[in-house]
Amino acid sequence: MTIKARFLRMTHIFFTILMLIQLLPDKSQKEVCTSSLIVFAIVAEAVVIILSFLIKRKESLSLTLDIFGFIYVFLTVWTLVTAKFDLLNDLLFPAPGKVISQFAEDKTVILTNIKSSVGIIIQGFLLAVVAAIPLGLLIGLNARLGNAASYLTKFFSSIPPIVYIPYGIALLPTFRSVSIFVIFLASFWPIFAGTMSGVLNVDKKIVDSAKVLNVKKPAMLTSVILPASLPQIFLGCNQGLSVSFILLTSAEMIGARDGMGYYVKYYSDFGDYTRTITGLLVIGIVVIAVTFLFNRFQQYLLRWRK
Amino acid sequence: MSTSKIEIRNLTVDYIEKKKNFTALKNVSFPINDGEFVSIIGASGCGKSTLLSVLEGINKPAEGEVLIDGEKVNGTGSNRSVVFQHYSLFPWMTTRKNVAFGIQQVRKELSRTQRLQVADEFLDKVGLSEFRNKYPSQLSGGMQQRAAIARALAMDTEILLMDEPFSALDAKNRIALQELLLKLWEGENSENKKTVVFVTHDIDEAIFLSDKIVVLTSHPGTVYDIVAVPFERPRNREELIARKDYAAFRSRLLSMFYHDIVDRIGGNEVVL
Repeated sequence: MTIKARFLRMTHIFFTILMLIQLLPDKSQKEVCTSSLIVFAIVAEAVVIILSFLIKRKESLSLTLDIFGFIYVFLTVWTLVTAKFDLLNDLLFPAPGKVISQFAEDKTVILTNIKSSVGIIIQGFLLAVVAAIPLGLLIGLNARLGNAASYLTKFFSSIPPIVYIPYGIALLPTFRSVSIFVIFLASFWPIFAGTMSGVLNVDKKIVDSAKVLNVKKPAMLTSVILPASLPQIFLGCNQGLSVSFILLTSAEMIGARDGMGYYVKYYSDFGDYTRTITGLLVIGIVVIAVTFLFNRFQQYLLRWRK
Repeated sequence: MSTSKIEIRNLTVDYIEKKKNFTALKNVSFPINDGEFVSIIGASGCGKSTLLSVLEGINKPAEGEVLIDGEKVNGTGSNRSVVFQHYSLFPWMTTRKNVAFGIQQVRKELSRTQRLQVADEFLDKVGLSEFRNKYPSQLSGGMQQRAAIARALAMDTEILLMDEPFSALDAKNRIALQELLLKLWEGENSENKKTVVFVTHDIDEAIFLSDKIVVLTSHPGTVYDIVAVPFERPRNREELIARKDYAAFRSRLLSMFYHDIVDRIGGNEVVL
């Protein structure tokens, strides 16, 4: 790539525009924290420039730049309609700088909440993975049993997992254990169903190929059936993971004392919409980060596919 | 007690399709000698692959039996290795892992390092050294079959079963792989030469490779004739094709092939 292709990009123009509009006078009566926004944007631009050096592939560089371009445009519009021209209700729509400075101010609380939420998700989800995959493999191996089980699974997975919450609260002592239990149930069924359908649909040619190699039963399960069903297992895991986030944040809004859902609900009850929006954005970032890491893991394990 | 390596006796195989019972093979009997390269040819649907699947041990006959070294075949066994037309390799293993995994199933005494060593040796023989860390999806069809052959040979079984292994390849690759197979098979010393059973619908392929050709008729599959290939080894494709007796032999086989079809259609004036 030429230097020009690498560094002369629309994204930097958007960044410049974002910086220039900060020079306009503020019309909003509220605190707008322009300096926080400027610091944030400069850090973002520094990241962009570093990435422009590092990223080798042309397509990934364009993608990264485009994403940052969108963020700059979004921040520009947001600044204009709030701080600069005060077009919206400033109680409901805080300026971007305010949200950023709120995030900086609350960062310890937010981090604790993220830790709590992500911890619960990981525990419930891992329990489901550990239970559902071996069970799905064993039951799926027997075509008759597997067929019957897939009907039962359809029944159980058709129950929206959120309705387990009241029963979970009656059953278990702490909010944390209830959340883990509900996430376990919500992830278990899709992973179990995915594993079973994976096993039931392993290409007969692959099984024959393993049989003629004299692969014995245990190795057949771990070295042939399991990897052959892995794409379907991951389909179930992805479904389980996305349901888990919806479920946990809903549960946190109902009865928790920490977690990101709690943070959003708690401050919106006080009418503190700056913190509400901060919380929403943080949840988005966390969900994206977790699914990104999970997808990377999936891509690694399924690297043999085209 | 028979002296042949493989003895196929009165084999009848049924298969069920759409809840109807079909007879794929009826009363098939013939012997295969130790170290012999035998091809089974016939039109598609004549049951040649079914016959091979019984030898593999993944299909059970309704009647009759297959004996290997005088023992009845009951399921798969570590004395046989197989190359299929498709999907012989596991897509989640690298070429090298695929070969090593095959070795692991039959030669348990080898350590992991030794298995990989043997795998590399055979991948080198089929010209895939550079591709040993690639996954099957990253290889061409011809390379995949090379790897499958490397695995089958590395497993070092007495019997090699091949089910139309080159049918899905283009002409150039097919010829290259036929020559490679022959070179590797002929290269073994005469005492422990593998017995090969090779299913194909390509007459030239069968002649070029085999000692003996079994011609099957269709619906149900029965043995039409068993023909010894009269050409000495090692064979050179160009010289072989140029010979007069080759053309005669080939047309003899071809007429057996079509005899069956003409009989079934029942007319004299068949335009093929």
